[in-house]
Amino acid sequence: MKIENSLALFNKIASDPYDYIKTLKEKTNKKIIGSTCTYTPEEIVLAAGAHPFRISGQAQNLSAADAHIQAYGCSMVRCMLEDGLSGDLNFLDGVVFPHSCDSIQRLSDIWRLNIPSLHFDILLPVKLDSQLSQNYFAKVIKRFKSDIEEALDTSISDKDISEAIHLMNQIRTALGQLYTLRAANPALIKGADMAAIVKASMVMDKEELLVELNKLITLLSKIEKKNDARKRILISGSICSHPDIYQIIENKDAVVVWDDLCSGSRYFEGLISETENPYIAISERFTNRFVCPAKHIRADFQLDNMKRLIADHRIEAVLFIFVKFCEPFSFDYPDIKNELEKMNMPYLMVEMDQHNRIDEQLRTRIDTLLEIMQF
Amino acid sequence: MITLGIDIGSLTAKGVLLKDNSILEKHLIQVGYNSKKAGDKLLAELLEKASIDRTEIARIVATGYGRNSIDFADKAVSEIICHGKGIHFLLPDTRTIIDIGGQDSKVIILNAKGTVVNFVMNDKCAAGTGRFLDVMARAMETEIQYFGELSLQSKNPAEISSVCTVFAESEIVSLVAKGENREDITSGIHLSIGRRIYSMVRRVGMVEPVAMSGGVALNIGVIDALEKLLKTEIKTSPLAQYGGALGAALLAVNE
Repeated sequence: MKIENSLALFNKIASDPYDYIKTLKEKTNKKIIGSTCTYTPEEIVLAAGAHPFRISGQAQNLSAADAHIQAYGCSMVRCMLEDGLSGDLNFLDGVVFPHSCDSIQRLSDIWRLNIPSLHFDILLPVKLDSQLSQNYFAKVIKRFKSDIEEALDTSISDKDISEAIHLMNQIRTALGQLYTLRAANPALIKGADMAAIVKASMVMDKEELLVELNKLITLLSKIEKKNDARKRILISGSICSHPDIYQIIENKDAVVVWDDLCSGSRYFEGLISETENPYIAISERFTNRFVCPAKHIRADFQLDNMKRLIADHRIEAVLFIFVKFCEPFSFDYPDIKNELEKMNMPYLMVEMDQHNRIDEQLRTRIDTLLEIMQF
Repeated sequence: MITLGIDIGSLTAKGVLLKDNSILEKHLIQVGYNSKKAGDKLLAELLEKASIDRTEIARIVATGYGRNSIDFADKAVSEIICHGKGIHFLLPDTRTIIDIGGQDSKVIILNAKGTVVNFVMNDKCAAGTGRFLDVMARAMETEIQYFGELSLQSKNPAEISSVCTVFAESEIVSLVAKGENREDITSGIHLSIGRRIYSMVRRVGMVEPVAMSGGVALNIGVIDALEKLLKTEIKTSPLAQYGGALGAALLAVNE
């Protein structure tokens, strides 16, 4: 198998995830459980014998959703809702709503009232850095387990959960290996391909995914490292649904080598302990990994993490990509930006709607960031 | 050596011919629908105006939104970098540039050498852009070139609270209906755009001295409003509209 074939597979699934899921459902007869946020404990869904997949929100024009959520609301949530209301997600058996931010909480309410499907709310704690919230979080995950058992009329054994944790740990390790390989040798795969791999990972059958990831790692490990003088960029934010952004950057002698996105490293960061109580272990991964700004952990957590990423991956500029009107990210931004200025680290913040096309204004801003580093 | 800088903006295309570090000729045309055609036309008219031949131009740098459509340019550079270079040439001390163009506005910070170190750009809507002024001038039945002067005649500026261009226009219709005078409403409009720019300047962090470039720099009312809000003198140059093209021509020298 060639690298191109492997990348073509991931790209195909990333560009039409719903088509893949429909085929998977026909083939396996598995229940399909959609997820609206990376705080969904996919291990529990897997242990229930169902297939977890991230609803990406493929809609490019919004109308049905805008009857429920104002145009100055989160476009990621509005795109998911549009797909739900338009019937594009009719293959879904249920949807999980982790209460991470206000928009997803309201999405849960609107969904419950308007779209028939099984409905799972996960009431996340607001703070993540106390023992009390840790205990609560573990109980919430256990509650989710009994909710899904009841809804799908199944029972989940400890062994089922251990196996699911082991599988997801292997997938996270493989994705981490790919990122590390590419950070050391960015010419291996284009940034847009790497983003497609992570997106496809949130869609694919997990057993098949692990096989495909490991095949790609074997192929890439054989390639010799090339000298690469391109500027090394970190993307920071929630989602980057625009493959064109990676190309705009690569057209300017720069390359994205790492990210802290929900649609990127946040999906695979952190492993779950396979020896501890599984509910505590799953909750610990969520609190130890790079936390979403919608959740609180000690104030300097975001800053420390950003500094660690900059040092580990020899980052030369930071591109913040925020979904317009996403307040948690905007509130953290001023402190992080001030810290980057102290470090003389070039940075740029752009806000965009998930469903909008890349326009000339955005290209101009990204070009300018990279030109500032040249002139 | 002669170099050419060509700036294809959203409304106008500007060209500057530079010879031995001074401006040989400049030219401005409307862009219209096709930015590539505008570039060709600008080049032809500029050559004629300067009475030189195309072969005498050593290098060409294109900038502005249409920069990538100019196939005769040797290089395309973003207008933010070019405005920085151009304004540094015209007003060498400048550390903060406010550039209000047809469809966007930018605040650019330069270091002491005149190199761009940071910038912000409006990104959510057309509030705080030249287009806002265009729409408002039309609502006030005033030619855009007299709009700034009219605002200076106000003693009691009207309050315009809407940020949105369309809503601000309907707010103005209400003020007109209430019988507020034209000068006061016009002054309110200029203060409104000033406040949008003020927040951008604060976000990126103002370093004095401050200068203005882009077409709106020709509007004395906006300059006056910004001076009041930012509490600093705003320098400008009669060539401010050519800042981007000039910067591109300067960059072409060193390429």
